[in-house]
Amino acid sequence: MNWRRAKNKEELPYKRWYQHHLIPVGVFLLTLGWSMVDLKMSPQLFWEGIPHFFDLVGEMFPPNWQVFSRGKTLWSILETVSMAFVGTFLGAIGAFFLAPFAAANLVPSRVIREITKRMLAAERSVPPLIYILLLVVVIGLGPFAGMIVISLGTIGMLGKLFAEAIETIDPKPLESLESTGATKIQMFRYAILPQVIPSLIANTLYRFDINLRVALFLGVVGGGGIGVDLQMAMSLFQYADALAITAVTLVIIWIAERISDSFRKRIIGQENLQ
Amino acid sequence: MGIRSIGELICVQEIVAVNAMMRYWKYLFPTGLFALLLWGGAAVCRVDPVALIAGVPQGIQLLGHMLPPAWKTFPELIGPALQTAQIAFVGTVLGAFLSFLIGLIAARNVHSMKVLRNMVRAILSAERALPDLIVILFFVAIVGLGPFPGVMALAASSIGMLGKLFADAIEEVDPKPLESMVALGATKAQVIRYAVLPQIIPSLIANTLYRFEVNIRMCILLGVVGAGGIGFNLVTSLRLLKYQEAMAVIITILILVTLCEKSSEILRRIVVGQELLR
Repeated sequence: MNWRRAKNKEELPYKRWYQHHLIPVGVFLLTLGWSMVDLKMSPQLFWEGIPHFFDLVGEMFPPNWQVFSRGKTLWSILETVSMAFVGTFLGAIGAFFLAPFAAANLVPSRVIREITKRMLAAERSVPPLIYILLLVVVIGLGPFAGMIVISLGTIGMLGKLFAEAIETIDPKPLESLESTGATKIQMFRYAILPQVIPSLIANTLYRFDINLRVALFLGVVGGGGIGVDLQMAMSLFQYADALAITAVTLVIIWIAERISDSFRKRIIGQENLQ
Repeated sequence: MGIRSIGELICVQEIVAVNAMMRYWKYLFPTGLFALLLWGGAAVCRVDPVALIAGVPQGIQLLGHMLPPAWKTFPELIGPALQTAQIAFVGTVLGAFLSFLIGLIAARNVHSMKVLRNMVRAILSAERALPDLIVILFFVAIVGLGPFPGVMALAASSIGMLGKLFADAIEEVDPKPLESMVALGATKAQVIRYAVLPQIIPSLIANTLYRFEVNIRMCILLGVVGAGGIGFNLVTSLRLLKYQEAMAVIITILILVTLCEKSSEILRRIVVGQELLR
């Protein structure tokens, strides 16, 4: 039988894909259309933006490297990196002490475990923006507030990851230590820590990469650091300054990521603290 | 190895003790360096435990000012909350669409021009390295304030991640349908439609949904830099010291974020493992 004729007679055994998914596809398209109309999106706006884009690029070049002759900009960069570094460290410490309480193989009490898990989840779900806006009211503008926000966000994520790492360890050393009558602390030190420490450090380093970006953003809303300078340059239309700051920030982020990458590579697969 | 006398036992214990000391000794230098760096960083951040402790009563006072939340402002907040969700939605869809096209260019098995492929990959990784904030600030500078730059910024910042994920997904498809279609003489568009798309569409949708969750959070920040949405309400109510309204905004934001995350989680569970686009 001719394939084409079969199609004409609608004898093919399958329907077109959109006939299978008529409702979801329809809902999706309707929502998309409604949103675009509601947001007053139009291709015209986009076309109007294009010449503006080239204007902007023209104003940005050449980047004004002079901004770094002011000591303040360099200090801001140092502030951003320090915020990320100290914040990550404090957050990791906090997570390290909280995580055992969320691990099923360490804490038999379900209530404590659930409370800890819920706390960590709540912390993760609050956007850093809310933290920083409230903290700025409490302890004032500056890198210290930013650092605390970073460490709070870090606790939420690392606490969960650490707890999962502890839960997925090989149970045999733990059981054998328990059978010899070791205390809880000894069990933690000799059965759990050696197994989880590589993933612990690797996750912390990964979070450091994220926190560098968070630190940058926090500057815009009052957390101190290079974000302040960037936002300032942008709102004063000093685009050449903004480009120079962006470029240097990118280099810093790139270097920090290389460093944390090389650390991570050295640590993963290596057995520490035996 | 048996231990024959008390003297030998003490000897063994000493060796164990010295070994233990040596074990920690080699960490002394890195730990010291780390502590020094930490101390320097703390000094730069002007870490001040006194200020923090002094801030505690102030924080409690602030909470006192915030409670009870101004419930009657909720109806006014639905509009901005909806706008935030819309910006995130349109931005994610636009970003995913562009990422799919870029992913096709960056995939080895669809596209044979190595130079173009490597170029696109390099651009994608540079885009990922660029903090989203910078992308957003630049788009606000280009397109001006309002929801439109927000959509563009979210779309642009989604491309770095989604483009790479899509390209990887396309590269990992089962090559057999692809080869047989090429052997049949199908056009490139047909190969993509019938051999590539059916295999990748579940992962495509799942990744896009994940990015939507990221974007809804980012979208709240967008309001702060002037790109529309509910973040703007939060900043203004805090600047005007209307703490009870700020609390209402915070609650709305949390509800919005949770709702979006839950629905995207449910959708993802439905989509993964399902055969779409047959």
